[in-house]
Amino acid sequence: MSARLRTAALTALVLLAQSQIADAHIVNARLGDFYAGALHPLLTLQDMLVLVALGVLAGSLGAASGRWLVVVFPLGLCAGLGLAVAASIAPVPPVVDAATILLLGLLLAASLRIPVALLCAIAFALGMMRGAANAGELVPQTDRLLYAAGLACAGYVTITLVMAVALTFRRPDTEPVSSWRGIALRAIGGWVAAVGLMMAGLSFAT
Amino acid sequence: MMARKLLYSTLAVAPLLLLTASPGLAHEQTGVSGGLANGLLHPLTGLDHLVAMVAVGIWGAQLGGVAIWVLPIVFPLVMAFGAVLGILKIGLPVPELVIALSGLILGLAVALRVRVPFAAAAAIVAVFAIFHGHAHGVELPTAANPLAYGCGFVVATGLLHACGITIGALARWPVGERVIQGVGAAIAALGGYFLVASLGAAA
Repeated sequence: MSARLRTAALTALVLLAQSQIADAHIVNARLGDFYAGALHPLLTLQDMLVLVALGVLAGSLGAASGRWLVVVFPLGLCAGLGLAVAASIAPVPPVVDAATILLLGLLLAASLRIPVALLCAIAFALGMMRGAANAGELVPQTDRLLYAAGLACAGYVTITLVMAVALTFRRPDTEPVSSWRGIALRAIGGWVAAVGLMMAGLSFAT
Repeated sequence: MMARKLLYSTLAVAPLLLLTASPGLAHEQTGVSGGLANGLLHPLTGLDHLVAMVAVGIWGAQLGGVAIWVLPIVFPLVMAFGAVLGILKIGLPVPELVIALSGLILGLAVALRVRVPFAAAAAIVAVFAIFHGHAHGVELPTAANPLAYGCGFVVATGLLHACGITIGALARWPVGERVIQGVGAAIAALGGYFLVASLGAAA
């Protein structure tokens, strides 16, 4: 075997050993913007924290109250995204983001019986805020309709699943809020509120 | 001759290896995962934090009643208040000393089955929560991802409380009560050790 052939074989071997997964086709094809819209909130901790906290809050209030959010929250996401694109509205400052997390956590920890209309208003407002925050990823080439559809789907699926898990965990509805299941859900509220309080502090520090 | 060929082969491959090198991520943790890992590990790797948080859970279970459900809901908020003080660089007096003292006092409370009114127990635990939160909060702004770090240390602390409450549930059996008192004594001994160590460091 000549030296050149040996070098070529060795080079090929090294390149083969370093090869990575090919993921070039699906995401960059026609539906790429749908995936971008769906993945962005799922990969952003701030979005996930709000989605999970809202889902648990809705689940803790029972199916009759919570089921409205399945529609209202994705609509809020789309409205926020649309408003941010149309009116070039900047995302809310970090302190407002932190305050919403704190408020959500406190509502859950306090185990208040929130009226359906108020819950829907909170969900819509939060959806608008997160939708506007997700508009930051849009570039002129992005298909906005696909991106909005992806975002709404991600919001819908996440909030529905989290709410369903919370509902299943909380059952039976007749159990008092002082049952260990109720306390566990309220403890999650305490955790969320604590994170919101710290983020609010951090926004003042920077 | 052979050595020269080998050298040529190596020289040909070396630039390719350099071009295809990936960033080295062995030491500094980055992004959400790094922040989360740091936050989760912070209360777990500091033995003084760990034993105090477990003791809070056990004492809450021993006191029973309101304490057992107020503790997991309110404690994180009070601790977060302490963390905010740390984030804003507002200093607290002798933090290491108070954290060590928390292990000693809470361990003794568990070992001796001290029963005090709920308001007094809440006040004692709240003061310690502020100091523990402060210690975690000081490191939050420099974390790889502050939000993930905050989530991590709140969850880790909550799980330590749950661990303490679970240990406290052993009190249903006579032997379990002895085990709990033994755990309390061990926590108090560790707290005493940390207290002496911090006094030695301060001297």
